[in-house]
Amino acid sequence: MEPDFRGDADHHDGTSDATPGGYADSRRPGELVFTILLTIGSGALLWNAYGIAGFEALSSPGAIPMATAAVMLISSIIILVKTARLKLVANETMSKDILPWLVIVMFVLLVAFGIALKPLGFIPTAAIFLILSMKLMARRSWPVTLLIALGSLVVIWLIFRIVFTVLLPAGIVPEAEFIQYFRDLFSAGGDA
Amino acid sequence: MSALMDMLMIFTNPQLLLLVGLGTFAGVYVGAIPGLSVTMAVSILISFTFSWDVLPAISLMIGIYMGGVYGGSRTAILLNIPGAPSAIATAMDGYPMAKRGEAGTAIGVTTVMSFFGGFIGIGVLALAAPFVSKFALTFQPRDYMLLAVLGILLVGSLSSGSLIKGTFAGALGIGIGAVGMDPLTFTERFTFDIPLLTQGISFIAVMIGMFGVSEALLQLHHIDMPAVRQKIDRIVPSFSTIKKHLPLSVQTSSIGVIIGALPGTGGDIAALMAYDHAKRVTKNPEREFGDGAIEGLVAPETANNAAVGGAFIPMMTLGIPGDAVTAIMIGALYIHGLNPGPMLMIDQPHMFWFIVGALITANFFILLFGLTGIKLFTKIVEIPRAFLIPLIMLLSIVGAYAVNNSITDVYWMLGFGVFGYFMRHYGYPLGPVILGVILSRLLDDNWRRAIISEREDLGRFFGGLFSSPLSTVLFVAVVLIFVSQTPLWTKGKALIFGRSNRSAS
Repeated sequence: MEPDFRGDADHHDGTSDATPGGYADSRRPGELVFTILLTIGSGALLWNAYGIAGFEALSSPGAIPMATAAVMLISSIIILVKTARLKLVANETMSKDILPWLVIVMFVLLVAFGIALKPLGFIPTAAIFLILSMKLMARRSWPVTLLIALGSLVVIWLIFRIVFTVLLPAGIVPEAEFIQYFRDLFSAGGDA
Repeated sequence: MSALMDMLMIFTNPQLLLLVGLGTFAGVYVGAIPGLSVTMAVSILISFTFSWDVLPAISLMIGIYMGGVYGGSRTAILLNIPGAPSAIATAMDGYPMAKRGEAGTAIGVTTVMSFFGGFIGIGVLALAAPFVSKFALTFQPRDYMLLAVLGILLVGSLSSGSLIKGTFAGALGIGIGAVGMDPLTFTERFTFDIPLLTQGISFIAVMIGMFGVSEALLQLHHIDMPAVRQKIDRIVPSFSTIKKHLPLSVQTSSIGVIIGALPGTGGDIAALMAYDHAKRVTKNPEREFGDGAIEGLVAPETANNAAVGGAFIPMMTLGIPGDAVTAIMIGALYIHGLNPGPMLMIDQPHMFWFIVGALITANFFILLFGLTGIKLFTKIVEIPRAFLIPLIMLLSIVGAYAVNNSITDVYWMLGFGVFGYFMRHYGYPLGPVILGVILSRLLDDNWRRAIISEREDLGRFFGGLFSSPLSTVLFVAVVLIFVSQTPLWTKGKALIFGRSNRSAS
């Protein structure tokens, strides 16, 4: 059995934990640039690690950071040399196989989610995010999209707010008042 | 006696029992739904159970872990898509069986065998861990350091095939773990004079980014893949089938425990080795391996579930995780103020026995959920990815935010998500990064302790290294892993084997 057996086109098998993508004998689009960036980054880290304590002592706070940065630099240079020698995969393109537009759009949506989370509050931000992304991906009719997006949001909100008691930014929605209203309602019902 | 009481505590507490059950149930489905993984689920759950007491939080996560290892086999059989790395070997014979219309039998056998293997693993854990932790008390700081390095290297080299990329990933993880204030001298490390970085990078943000968002982004490539419906018949297997494969399952379970207990090797490798073993010892299989042999299903499933118990041994006794999931479990224990390592068994033995009890409970739930609810199951795995992916992303953001109530963590998480996405594309394993982050502190502390106790003298350090058999073995193992990847190894092998060939002829 091949060591990098991936089982299926789904990339699902072990992609999540261990077995990554990539090919052993050829280079994917953008791989060279990625490796160059890693090498530069490792170099910068090594420089920074040297700045922590220099070669002052083997037990200095900078010793392990310097060692790890050195390992990163050396291994990234080896990877760089190896990668540069490989042939480019013939039938793959950057925009089709590595970074399709959907990935970029979703990433932009995620960043927008992060920016809007505090000022707008969890519920409206999550609702907009879910509706937009589900509509974009599933291309179903508006009623179906709205139903699934909002339905799952309600379930998630109930689970996290009530079961896990996670505090999420309330933003413009008077969430606490809302929960209190229901508490009052139930306790009133209990008293009666 | 008190150990037994701690173990049984979970049965006397309905709330904990319910949580293990819920966890296992969720784990089975998470493991089975293409697009969700156990690592992802556990890392997101850590942040949500953050505010809980330690016992309920651990009950839930152990349930998810056990359930997930088992659940991965379901999709391996039904769709030829292993839901977890440990189920890769299961697909090789499970899917051909399903294609023949024997999906029910396959699932039934898998369930019973997982249950069986799980018990052997937990049994070994309960028997061996007290001894290992006693032994671990004699470990020197340098041994811990070497063990940590060995663990990271093994995860890097065994899981993907490219050791050099694994080494890079491991070093990167250690580097990420070092960001912030040095706990001993309060020197800033890797902060680039940015105030934000002095607090360090939350390892939960790294985890959720790498295993949640990057996986979800990668799944965007496959949103149009249709779900496949399979017919499933009777799933409770006959007693004679079970009895027939009992001897094999004992052997493969043992393989599973041993492989699982080695630092750096987990269920995926255990399953593949067990599969290989079954192939060698089964003399006259009813069907060829790869064509739907039941033996090819029994072996990996017993092994990967037995490996769970095995993997808990180094995790609980040494604080060294065996793979990405156990690394995350260690992170979870840290967060709840527990310190996995030899002292855990001495200071808080009840915690250890409680975890053993939770594992046993989860194992029973696997049997229960595995043999029932198949109708619901076929419905759930058909959820289209287009609806699933936005939900995973939403959970990732909420999870990253919830730990510290900080938006900064969300940005870190997204950053590591994108980075992890490219790493996956270009063949860098992500497991070593998480192991590195978790072990960074341990490695740093123990290195400094070791070198200070040798008065900063490298010569004395190496002298000490070779004066203790344990340190020597660990050091040689680390060196061997490196040598095995260089051309030197192939040459040496050719030399030795060349000679032995000649002497044979």
